[in-house]
Amino acid sequence: MLQVEGVSAGYGKFNILSHISIKVDDGTTVIMVGSNGAGKSTLLKAISGVVPPASGTIHFNGQRIDGCPPHRIVELGIALVPEGGRIFSELTVYENLKMGSYPSSARREFAGSLQQVFQLFPLLKDRKKQMAGSLSGGERQMLAIARALMTKPQLIMLDEPSSGLAPKIVAKVFEFVATIKAQGYSILMVEQNVLKAVGLAEYAYLLETGTLVYEGEKQEFLKNPKIRASYLGL
Amino acid sequence: MSNLILNGLANGILYGGGLALLAVGMNLIFGVLNVIHLAYGQCVMVALYAVYVFAVLLHLPLLVSCVIAVGISALLALLIHVAVVNPLLKAPLINQLLALAGVMIVLENIILAVFGSDYLGIQISFPVFAIGDVYIKISSLIPFGVGIATLALLWLFLNRTYTGLAIRAIVQDRDMAELMGVQTGRVYWVTFAIGGILAGVVAACFAPIYTVHPHFGAGFTLTAFVIVVLGGLGNLLGGSIAAFLIGVISQVTGVVFTSEIGEILVYAIFIIFILFRPQGLLGARVRT
Amino acid sequence: MKRGTRLLYPAVLCGLFLFLLIAPFRLPLYGTHIFILIFIWSAVATAWSYMARFGVVSLGHGAVLGIGAYTTALLFNYYGVSPLIGMLIGGVLSVIYFAGIGYFCFRFGVIGHYFAVTTLVQVMMVYLLIIYFRDFSGGSLGLTVNSLGTNPLFFQFHSKTHFYFIALAFLLLTLYVWKKIHQSRIRRAMTAIDNDEAAAASIGIPIVKYKTMVTAISAFFTAIGGVIYAQYMMTLHPDVLSSVDASLGIAFKAILGGMYTLWGPFVGATLIIGLEEYFRVVHGATLIGWSVAAYGIVIIVLVIFFPKGLHGTLKEVLEKKRNE
Repeated sequence: MLQVEGVSAGYGKFNILSHISIKVDDGTTVIMVGSNGAGKSTLLKAISGVVPPASGTIHFNGQRIDGCPPHRIVELGIALVPEGGRIFSELTVYENLKMGSYPSSARREFAGSLQQVFQLFPLLKDRKKQMAGSLSGGERQMLAIARALMTKPQLIMLDEPSSGLAPKIVAKVFEFVATIKAQGYSILMVEQNVLKAVGLAEYAYLLETGTLVYEGEKQEFLKNPKIRASYLGL
Repeated sequence: MSNLILNGLANGILYGGGLALLAVGMNLIFGVLNVIHLAYGQCVMVALYAVYVFAVLLHLPLLVSCVIAVGISALLALLIHVAVVNPLLKAPLINQLLALAGVMIVLENIILAVFGSDYLGIQISFPVFAIGDVYIKISSLIPFGVGIATLALLWLFLNRTYTGLAIRAIVQDRDMAELMGVQTGRVYWVTFAIGGILAGVVAACFAPIYTVHPHFGAGFTLTAFVIVVLGGLGNLLGGSIAAFLIGVISQVTGVVFTSEIGEILVYAIFIIFILFRPQGLLGARVRT
Repeated sequence: MKRGTRLLYPAVLCGLFLFLLIAPFRLPLYGTHIFILIFIWSAVATAWSYMARFGVVSLGHGAVLGIGAYTTALLFNYYGVSPLIGMLIGGVLSVIYFAGIGYFCFRFGVIGHYFAVTTLVQVMMVYLLIIYFRDFSGGSLGLTVNSLGTNPLFFQFHSKTHFYFIALAFLLLTLYVWKKIHQSRIRRAMTAIDNDEAAAASIGIPIVKYKTMVTAISAFFTAIGGVIYAQYMMTLHPDVLSSVDASLGIAFKAILGGMYTLWGPFVGATLIIGLEEYFRVVHGATLIGWSVAAYGIVIIVLVIFFPKGLHGTLKEVLEKKRNE
């Protein structure tokens, strides 16, 4: 479904990513792990159109999307949940969700999407008139994911959903991810917390200083001694 | 003396109504495009001349002239956006400011060249009624009502439509709004056009009250920005309240002392707020 | 560079230098007058650029012109203090006032748009105060400096030639100061601050100190420029000195030439004063509105298409060619 080939991207003259190739198959969950500065966020930004790739191509469902502006890529069905969620704190929960169905493809189905989201995350229904800024960290992440769902995506990308949250909340966040995975969405997730993340995935990539150093199916990934030592603390 | 103050108060509230519209326009433009529309006051002035041309020179009814003026103001805003603001959205701040200062010069001087520097007035007399010692002019009351109605319409637009929601989202987090599918380019010109419409409505409100000349409006821009800061960037309710406060303060002070002191006081208030409470009275709605 | 071009550059400079030395003795009075205006305003624009090139944009430098000029003129008219001393007092007062405002803004994190508007607001306040105290300052009727004929000790000269060389010397001084700043640690610090204030602070650069410093230097020389202008014209008027128009005019001159280069403000001032005089002389009062409107359009076009200013863009183009 998503095919990234030989992408290099960065800011100005500095390329943070060098010739990355990954793919996400329909209905699967793929994770990308790596320490800070490895370039994981940059890759998600390149896919979502925020940072245009300096070279390489990105295809989504056979269509070439590198170089497209962000709003076009959302329309095509890729949603990004950025680090920290970045919900609109001066809008209500309801308005945040409504903002999610801004793309014209999603707008017609606003009522249906809203119902679906409220079913999956009943807390949001209770809080719908509340200012998003007053939600707790975990609740914001929930709202951010729900908002992404409102765009009627096929692929959901999550940038370090557990970052900055207390361990108990982290567990909850991964529950949310499991929930949407169960709904059949394809997921590309970037995480530092490898142990919890790999549990959800079918396939994993390891990114270090801008290049892919390892990739594999979940079991192989977990068995790799280097990964076990550096990232799983085993 | 108290009579004078009461009249100052009444005038201040009415003046504040006009200022509120201007401040809202300035607030939206600054919040969405991150541009200070230095030539905003001049846009009001051009719209006032439009009212004059249609009502006095072409003898159209006042209401029709005002509507046309609002349209012209919106078109002027679009022209300024396309020609000046849009090309400079990513330019350094100083370039944006100077280009808009250039627009100020162009508007003032074209009007000067075409109409000369005489003070022109729309001579329409409206009835005046008295409450005790205070005289209230219908010519001030109608614009006040129009102003409130416009603000209400704007509120509906911002809170009940998708574009309005997009505007509010961009003001808070531009990048995130883009990731929600908002085409910022489109929202930019829509916002600027709304600013133009508001300027036109202000002109319509001021038409029966003020005489117009090429330097009219220059003072409004700065006052409008003062109100934006006072009310809190992005906070339209705060801006409206601040507008009335500033309107009253400047008019009453102007009456008790001199008009210079009134203006100086407004500017001093600005400096105090910008230093010690930049989020304004009611708090900014923008993540700074 | 080819040998031919290596000789060309200093030759042109020498020629220019000679021309400037002889000019006041050969040109008609009007020509000398234009040169004086160009020298004074380029010096002021250069002083403005001490701040602006580092992103500290002041749209209210007119206030400094006004405080410097009015302090000096009032001290002389009312108390007989020589403008040579009054100049220094005016300069110091301007620094205290303007850098003072700057200090508070910088300390409280007022930057960018908000700082620019604050500078606009303060120049309006100074303007209004001059008008309000009209009994003392002449208000909108202006103030005339009491004439002593030619009296060097009181900075008054009957002939334009003296002012020509004084203004030229002042311009060279401000250019020299530009160079000094450019080579000093102030520039390195301010460049870091301009690029990323938070990062600069985190590596220990005292933000407020450096910003206030460039503001103070800028204010001082601008004030002196205001005094020289007032003494040359022998009249002061708030619309010409301490107004939003004057402030924007200073900024225009620097930007249009290129506020990041040494000669940029000079080029810009020459261009703008040239344009202003051209429109005034050739089209005069008949086309007053249209000519100024055209001037405004020229500004807009230049800002959009030559964001580095004319001199700045020229320099860039030449450097690119040199690197090829």
